[in-house]
Amino acid sequence: MPIRGDEAEERACLFLKGEGYQIVVRNWRTKLGEVDIIARDRDVLVFVEVKARTGDGFGGPEGAVDDRKQRRLIFAALSFMQKTKCELPARFDVVAIRPGSLLLYQDAFQVPD
Amino acid sequence: MFARLLSGVVLGVEARLIEIQCDVSGGLPTFNMVGLPEKEVSESRERIRSAIKNSKFNFPAGRITANLAPADLKKEGVGFDLPIAIAILKATGQVRDTAERYLLLGELALNGEVRGIRGVLPIALETADQIDGFIVPQANALEAAIASDKPVYPVHTLAEAQQFLNREIEITPTVADRESLAYSEQKTFRHNLAEVRGQLQAKRALEIAAAGGHNLLMIGPPGSGKSLLARCMPDLLPALSFEEAVEVTRIYSTAGLLETGSPLVWRRPYRAPHHTISYAGMVGGGHGIPGPGEISLAHHGVLFLDELPEFDRRVLETLRQPLEDRSILISRAGISVRYPSAFTLVGAMNPCPCGFLGDPIRSCTCSLHDVRRYKKRLSGPFLDRMDLCVEVPRVPADDLFGAHSAEPSDVVHARVSAAREIQWERMRDDAACHSNSQLDGDRLDAYCALEIGAQQLLRRAVDRFGFSARAHARIRRVARTIADLADSQEIRAEHIAEAIQLRTSGDAVSDF
Repeated sequence: MPIRGDEAEERACLFLKGEGYQIVVRNWRTKLGEVDIIARDRDVLVFVEVKARTGDGFGGPEGAVDDRKQRRLIFAALSFMQKTKCELPARFDVVAIRPGSLLLYQDAFQVPD
Repeated sequence: MFARLLSGVVLGVEARLIEIQCDVSGGLPTFNMVGLPEKEVSESRERIRSAIKNSKFNFPAGRITANLAPADLKKEGVGFDLPIAIAILKATGQVRDTAERYLLLGELALNGEVRGIRGVLPIALETADQIDGFIVPQANALEAAIASDKPVYPVHTLAEAQQFLNREIEITPTVADRESLAYSEQKTFRHNLAEVRGQLQAKRALEIAAAGGHNLLMIGPPGSGKSLLARCMPDLLPALSFEEAVEVTRIYSTAGLLETGSPLVWRRPYRAPHHTISYAGMVGGGHGIPGPGEISLAHHGVLFLDELPEFDRRVLETLRQPLEDRSILISRAGISVRYPSAFTLVGAMNPCPCGFLGDPIRSCTCSLHDVRRYKKRLSGPFLDRMDLCVEVPRVPADDLFGAHSAEPSDVVHARVSAAREIQWERMRDDAACHSNSQLDGDRLDAYCALEIGAQQLLRRAVDRFGFSARAHARIRRVARTIADLADSQEIRAEHIAEAIQLRTSGDAVSDF
């Protein structure tokens, strides 16, 4: 049974709360991209991308966060910070979900030059 | 959250103090580096990030900006890894502020190990008076300790540097005992003059060249011992003084050619580049900050060019100016670097393309045209700068098979050292001049006074051979050296005669 997107995000939220994150907003959308979960980890704003896959056939969930996806996340994150006038340091995390496992990658990627 | 600390950068053999500023602030996670970093400095971001994470420190979220001041100076090399990493830790409160002004240098491996870098000696030499201590890779600690009296703390890992700065551990400063370093390299001859059979005239010329720092051209057929003679030359020269060793080491440190375990270059350099060498390889150059070329790597030593006419003519002509100035200024867009290049040039060539012109037994197979074209590859001005020019003929069978009783290198070395001693004594108060080959203008008149007979002889020779003014001065310098070797105050006719003979003996071949 494949894992559905909103189901995966629900599991990710529960996990992040357990890790001490405070969920700020979910499914924040802009014209050019969206962020699944925006949360706070103490003094750091965290943009979380949740990816679920049933197998590793296509590079697994981690492989799905490629350059294009990163650019969209960065764009969405930037517009969120501008809209909310947020001055906190920010970070991108990726939650990779497979049947029976959940992995959290903190500071998964950075904004390139 | 702002932090600053000190590091250094090499520009040729000079060095500058660099202030590293680091700011960690809110915003999307970026790591920017400003202040004219070259490619390898920008790349250090990935090493720094990995090293910090793998050393179990916290790599901050948000926007990191590292600035290398002064911002208008090109920054090259990998030595900024450690200082930038420590600056980030400092900006995030993981390293405490210290009262001391430490200078940090070191490349980071991904696992947080600190690796050795190039150019520590020049940096330590030029910045020691502005700081309180050095934190450098273990591999470079001795190099830094030689150069300065400030404490040098060797580190192996990023974590060790952090713990030291936080006063959690003590590190024993590295101490360099200059005396013991000086003697750690015993005088061993790499090549012994006694190995060369026959060739008395060439050996004499080699001795004179070594004694006065004169340039030497050897002309002879293949296999007559030219290369072997040249290889003997650096060991005939007196040992480098401490100051000279530091000068040479600066260049080798910049070039990254220092051998581990020997922080100072004590041996006279011997460089024998192949004749396919490029212009940049010979005088220096390369991308970014120009690096030293062969002429600078041969500083205070011997530059041997075998098969002289095979070298690119443009490369040979560029030697003319450094031969006179004893240094080379390399100017590139946005930067110019001066490297010292006080080398003794030893050249070797065949008399003709086949190599047997003038040989009593084997006949030369070259046409007159071939020989002319071969000779023409060396310009007059270049040949004019060779003080000594000798023929190195084929070794006759008697010398090859006869009893072998050539002088070993250490005997010649002793004579050369004595002659150099006389020169140092004579020019003791002269900072710019240490050997006879450097005598010019007033010094020539002051130190190379000729006896009446010698004067007359030289005058006749100038008329007879059509010597240029420069050639005339060079003959006097060589004669001065010959007199020094003979421990004679005045330059007598016999000294002038030998100098003239050693300048013209090769001409028999080269004039054809």
